[in-house]
Amino acid sequence: MKTSTLATVTVALATIGLSPAARTADRAPGLDPALLTRPPTDAWPTYHGDYSGRRYSTLGQINTDNVKSLTLAWIYRTNTSPAGAAFGGEGPETPPPASGFQFRVDIKSTPLLVAGVLYLTTPDHVWAVDPRTGREIWHFFWRTKGGIHIGNRGVGMYGNWLYFLTPDNYFVSLDAATGKERWHKEIANVKREYFSTAAPIVIRNHVVIGVGGDSLDVPGYLESRDPETGELQWRWYTTPRPGEPGSETWPDEYSMSHGGGMPWLPGSYDPELNLYYFGTGNANPVLSGQSRKGDNLWTASIVAVNPDTGKMAWYYQATPHDTHDWDSAQTPVMIDGVIDGKPRKLLAQANRNGHFFLLDRTNGKHFLTAPMIDSINWTKGLNAKGQPIPNPEKEANVPGTLVSPTTDGATNWPPPSFSPDTGLFYVGTTRGFSMFYLTDTDPRPQGWAAAERHVANLGAELKAIDYKTGRIVWSRPQAMTASGSNGGSMGLLSTAGKLLFGNDGGGNFVAYDAASGTPLWHAGLGTNTTNGPQTFLLDGRQYVVVGAGDQLFAFTLQQ
Amino acid sequence: MRLAHVTPVAAVLLAAAPLGAQHAPEPAPPPAAPPAAASAPRPAAPPGESKEPPKYDAASVERGKLLLVQQCGFCHGSNARGGQQGPDLTRSDLVQSDEGGKQLGEFLKVGRPERKMPKFDLPEPDVVDLATFLHSTIDSVADRGKYQILNILVGDAQAGQAFFNGAGKCSACHSPEGDLKGIASRIKDPAALQGRLVMPRGGRRRRGPPQPGQDEIPPYLETTAVQATVALPSGQSFTGALIRLTDFDVTVYDPATNQMRSWLRSGGSPAVTLSDPLQAHMDMLRKWTDGDIHNMTAFLATLK
Repeated sequence: MKTSTLATVTVALATIGLSPAARTADRAPGLDPALLTRPPTDAWPTYHGDYSGRRYSTLGQINTDNVKSLTLAWIYRTNTSPAGAAFGGEGPETPPPASGFQFRVDIKSTPLLVAGVLYLTTPDHVWAVDPRTGREIWHFFWRTKGGIHIGNRGVGMYGNWLYFLTPDNYFVSLDAATGKERWHKEIANVKREYFSTAAPIVIRNHVVIGVGGDSLDVPGYLESRDPETGELQWRWYTTPRPGEPGSETWPDEYSMSHGGGMPWLPGSYDPELNLYYFGTGNANPVLSGQSRKGDNLWTASIVAVNPDTGKMAWYYQATPHDTHDWDSAQTPVMIDGVIDGKPRKLLAQANRNGHFFLLDRTNGKHFLTAPMIDSINWTKGLNAKGQPIPNPEKEANVPGTLVSPTTDGATNWPPPSFSPDTGLFYVGTTRGFSMFYLTDTDPRPQGWAAAERHVANLGAELKAIDYKTGRIVWSRPQAMTASGSNGGSMGLLSTAGKLLFGNDGGGNFVAYDAASGTPLWHAGLGTNTTNGPQTFLLDGRQYVVVGAGDQLFAFTLQQ
Repeated sequence: MRLAHVTPVAAVLLAAAPLGAQHAPEPAPPPAAPPAAASAPRPAAPPGESKEPPKYDAASVERGKLLLVQQCGFCHGSNARGGQQGPDLTRSDLVQSDEGGKQLGEFLKVGRPERKMPKFDLPEPDVVDLATFLHSTIDSVADRGKYQILNILVGDAQAGQAFFNGAGKCSACHSPEGDLKGIASRIKDPAALQGRLVMPRGGRRRRGPPQPGQDEIPPYLETTAVQATVALPSGQSFTGALIRLTDFDVTVYDPATNQMRSWLRSGGSPAVTLSDPLQAHMDMLRKWTDGDIHNMTAFLATLK
């Protein structure tokens, strides 16, 4: 007994001791840019796995026939202790109280897998982890000055360099081999309530990033930075300046220059069209349109920009004059499909406002708007362009108005998935109701300007949507409790193994039959998954990796 | 009611082997946190911090407010949100980035002559007070937890009473002399009363940590708990308050033994039938007009 314990310890120590050194010595950590333009198999080199935003893997080693044999390979529990970490940041030794450390440090990042190393993040932290064993290779810790620590979506990679954003709005580059900082650049002012959560998207020699934060009516922007120097290449504001096209959708300069529109999530990219697609945030003030009559372009829109110039090619506004915090930042998913008998380059989005949108991604032309949930009560129908027409009576007022969905939306940031095998778009949805109370009756209200009280939920479902018609092909209710339905929005992954990975709102990670929604396998993780699941092939074995709370779980087939 | 082959929770746990079949030992994982959005509420004060002094010195805020009105209000408005000639100070990059009057003071010494903003020779304590007022004003915008719901009792109580007895069909379950007697005295906050009217349970996010003395009754012990009937393959069935139901397991509460009972599920078996004592409220969510809600709130507010 004693012997075997000692032996185990010795082996463990040897592994810990050898692993980082071995890694740095025998591998080239760099990212081959060609990886970014083809579907991932032995890598997951960018936030969505590839540029398409589909989160579909061509891997089929794990499939509907054998998924019952999927078993735990390892668990990595995020180590947030600064001991042994490489340091960066301009904040104090002890984090300032305003930095929101009471938020759970959920893993919301989709880790990158490049050259046999996983890179994952939470706010202020980056880790390199061995995907064979789940052991930490290095840890980088950012000393923060503050900012809301609600989440971080992950790193971007260019050659040997990693990039990530911090809650106090620094664009930081690390050496992927060592986790040591190369440099950092401030991209926004944390004192103005900007905070940054996005995963950088690398397109050739452009690192594309966006800012977040809508407490103080500051303007939103997307920008591109040089991967070697971190210097600004271009910046695109999500609201126009006076005299520019779009300015006619705002009453005055004051409103448009304080109009918000934060592009706080990573987008998708079509290399053939050389267009980057992303969603912009809600307009500010968030819940009152009093001082910003009009459509408020280009907030709550799906936008295409040229990554070389930062020039907008087209836009489609999913929520004109939003007054419910329904940003359109959700992933624009590229679909190569057939509409009206013609092959088309399409772009689909499951929007927070409760609708599914299908566009032509070459020009933004609208094909389809379909409700994803049956409780939407804020529109007066659709206009000729398929945009929901807001009912002004459902904008916050003093005595309160009952609205569905809530500010959380019918869905939210967790990435959806599209499978070209089934032609289905998968998304977690919920049917909440809130009362919206106007609290700031000034002619120029500020900030959120109103209070929201969640009151009820008619239920959460995982849905499979036919992208051509918007029809709900199957719908799976989420977990129920004594007080109603749980779950809703979730990160999803579909595969050539005819599987869909997601959660059930009850703490289970589930593999569903992608065609029918029948659950085929599950693992009780104790808490719902908190990021987008991913998969890759490593030494001939397919792994499925997902984050739930502060732990990363890896599964593979029993052998 | 008593079952011959009920599987106690402990037995399920002992039987659980590979992770793929494991189930949480707790009755249910806590409800999933709402999806994190960029636009999340600012975090509530952590436990133990409530007794800390306020973020801004109230006397300094008051002095600063007076200074603002006297010195700046003519151009920037008496609430600092801008006027005919001067911009909104609360949305000013310079003000928002200021540290305790340092940058503001440097700016005031020079002014912005090209835009007809004169310089101000204010004593340093005045600059600090002015900055404190501006920062506290900005904080009251940024911190949604401090927003105050205004007077929502604008409805017609008589129309509310007519709705109660008529179209709303509320009187089928409720009575002003019975369960609702004194409801407005028990729930004094009209917004809370309105919330309970629309849905008398859960659904609302708790803001901040639990407070001492806060009611900690678990949802399955509430009279409003969703009820579940589990039909076992043996032909027996079991009914109790639902604790959790997924495709893979079901847990219900047995009040007779004060125990939780759980069964694994597969392929929809054992079948579970749910019944919601608040189904009428759930159905009303699609039917309410805001006017009916306001009138009903006004009516309930009379039941003191």
